[in-house]
Amino acid sequence: MGKIVGGFLVPHDPVMFVVPDAPAEDVRKRMWGAFDTCAERLAGLNATSVVIIGADHYFNFGTGCLPQYIIGTGDVDGPLDVLPGLKRQIIPTSEKLAGFIADHGHDNGFDWAVARAFTVDHAVAIPDRLIVDPVRASGQSIGTIPVYIAAGVDPYIKMKRAVELGGAIKAAVEAMPDDERVVVIGSGGISHWVGTPEMGKVNEAFDHEIMDYACTGNLAAIQGLSDDYILENGGNGGMEVRQWAVAMGAMPGARGEIIDYAPVREWVTGLGFVQLFA
Amino acid sequence: MSRNVLEKLMHQLCVDRSVKQRFKEDPAGLLARYALTDEERAMVTGFDVAGMQKHGVNPMLTLGFWTENAPNRHPAAYMKALRGAAAADGQVFSAGLKQ
Repeated sequence: MGKIVGGFLVPHDPVMFVVPDAPAEDVRKRMWGAFDTCAERLAGLNATSVVIIGADHYFNFGTGCLPQYIIGTGDVDGPLDVLPGLKRQIIPTSEKLAGFIADHGHDNGFDWAVARAFTVDHAVAIPDRLIVDPVRASGQSIGTIPVYIAAGVDPYIKMKRAVELGGAIKAAVEAMPDDERVVVIGSGGISHWVGTPEMGKVNEAFDHEIMDYACTGNLAAIQGLSDDYILENGGNGGMEVRQWAVAMGAMPGARGEIIDYAPVREWVTGLGFVQLFA
Repeated sequence: MSRNVLEKLMHQLCVDRSVKQRFKEDPAGLLARYALTDEERAMVTGFDVAGMQKHGVNPMLTLGFWTENAPNRHPAAYMKALRGAAAADGQVFSAGLKQ
């Protein structure tokens, strides 16, 4: 039987790769170091699979098809949007579990779209490269399962549905006959304005509000956030708290701990790192 | 007025190399393939990202369109086009700098 053994809520800021030296030295060391800390803690969880929840940035999907949620059930590589220091590569997968999650969802009211050969963008590739790859390099075999939700392009997945989707992932993992040890990674946020006149703004109060919900396992509060409130206080990029909601929904009752946080205007984002404890 | 068709074009101008090349070489010919108004075509050829956002186009697309196609792709130039000349000061970074 499968089990969710832990979770992380992390940013996937591409600007870190583009201008890595832009912030003050202590800040940038802390932020890169926070990814290292996540990797070290992931290593201690002895995971067999990670489910990384990202959001499309109007990049993977165009106006012809905008899925509410989609899971990669086959081959995975990425990122689609290569960055300095983040070249495209094949990403190890957990195809059996991914297919099981999709099938379990189809039997239980979650009509997953599936990607059989998926080139993910930086939303999944950054946490995979910075958190999972170092653990693989140490000898552990971990497959990545990419999940994308509609958080960058409207119609956005409803917050309630995002939490429920996390629950569907949890139910599927626990129904899996194999002894999978699964870690969920909510990849996104926190406050940032992408391509809007406010780009570069960071709202620390909003960021701490979201991290507080994560640390206290307050699913009702994060589910209750309206789109208007998020857009006003967290920006269009802040809609990515949906990825956090999915991960939290997969671990109901879990408490969290802030690994680090900094409002980094040079990287146009409030960068928050939280570990969720099963 | 069609936000949808504009977004279709913007998306292609972000991710499709052949469409980007056609836009560079023959913008009028490319735009004739899309059901856009004269005003919308002018927004595209004039890189009027502020106008497109007011039109409802997703800001991620206007940013990608600019950084993939504009004569000056630097994010500061994008912000100037978006906010107006008065807001051109100060550093603004984006993933568009990868160019």
